[in-house]
Amino acid sequence: MEIKKDICTGCGQCISICPVQAISLLKKKAVINKSLCVECAVCYRDSECPVKAFRLTRLKWPRIIRSPFSNVIATHKITGIPGRGTEEMKTNDVTNRFGFGEIGVSIELGRPGVGTHLRNIELFTIKLSKLAVSFEENSPVTALIIDDQGHIQEEVKDEYVLSAIIEFKVPKEKIDQVLSIIRDVEKEIDTVFSVGIISRIFQSEISSITNLIKKNGFEVRPNAKIIIGLGKL
Amino acid sequence: MTHSLHRKGKRSDLENDYIILAMLAANFNNKYEDSRRKLIEIGEILKKYNPINIMSEAAWKMSPVITATFTEIEIVKKIIKEFKEKDFGISIVISGLIIEIEAILSEIGLKTHTVHLSLGTFGKKELLPLEDTLEITTMCGHHCISPTSVSTIVKQVALKKISIDKAIKKLSKPCVCGIFNESRAYKILTSMIKKHTL
Repeated sequence: MEIKKDICTGCGQCISICPVQAISLLKKKAVINKSLCVECAVCYRDSECPVKAFRLTRLKWPRIIRSPFSNVIATHKITGIPGRGTEEMKTNDVTNRFGFGEIGVSIELGRPGVGTHLRNIELFTIKLSKLAVSFEENSPVTALIIDDQGHIQEEVKDEYVLSAIIEFKVPKEKIDQVLSIIRDVEKEIDTVFSVGIISRIFQSEISSITNLIKKNGFEVRPNAKIIIGLGKL
Repeated sequence: MTHSLHRKGKRSDLENDYIILAMLAANFNNKYEDSRRKLIEIGEILKKYNPINIMSEAAWKMSPVITATFTEIEIVKKIIKEFKEKDFGISIVISGLIIEIEAILSEIGLKTHTVHLSLGTFGKKELLPLEDTLEITTMCGHHCISPTSVSTIVKQVALKKISIDKAIKKLSKPCVCGIFNESRAYKILTSMIKKHTL
């Protein structure tokens, strides 16, 4: 993303629109801090610049990786889905991605709204690889993992994105180890992250999974996403 | 996309905040001739019940998902009953308070198939904006709403430079999925403006 200096009038109305505060006024012109800019294109779509000074630039590797992780409209070449993630549990009644006895985990680095360097992925993936979790194959984050030890591609580590979701599943018996890793990484990470737990439900017993999580010292929020089983192959 | 999962707010704030999502499963039920027609028909049903917000119709022809936001659980119940009767075979997800969703499912004769629970936020929480700002920004599941735009708009409304209704539309604009609850935003903004003017 760039702002055409010769067109910009320095009115400043675009400054507050950036979700990561990457736009500021410098010498009476709006400028974008390239290291902070996550290439989400919200400024391009929604700033209502009176002189249309915003330009989408052709991004090169590795910076181009910022777009599918940040731009709600960009489609990732692996998932084919816009909006940064995968289908996750949303179609589980059709795909059976998460079966009985399995627990899915979504760890969204940078959410809510702080952003993250992609290097933070390794804080989790290296530890999780030791547990032999099953990373979601069709995930943009999994696509960055290069070995069985959970390391990610070196050249993307410094790229800053709005969020990156680590998606995986484990047998139910291992969830306490996963939750323990979350507590460990929480102490060393330089951003925020939000955690979700996915469970196939037997006879409407959501309480069995919420009790398991609470037993490990975690709170469960009162709001959730619930699939109601109307999907078919 | 965890999208609508991590919406902030106390239990009482989350009443009157429901999202219905319909999604075609890639390489499963998205490949039939009538898949798109059925998804669009779902969109028409959602629209019929006057959602507080809904994904732009221009996107319905291309997106694998359609979303809409409602403020009344009884309306959600009516919609889900209609989906059950029409038997589209397309996955439906409801986001909202667990206790309320489970109650209406029981009344309709449906059950929770899969749940995605939120454990909340961890890490450097000192980087986060104040809770009321977060309640607004987390209503866009892709975080397209800037915390700074919230504080700017509060000041503009307090100084009577813009009406609160126009302010809500401005805040809502970056959320292309139609899950920004404008009714809830109105309450939160009103409270923030009162605090600002005190």
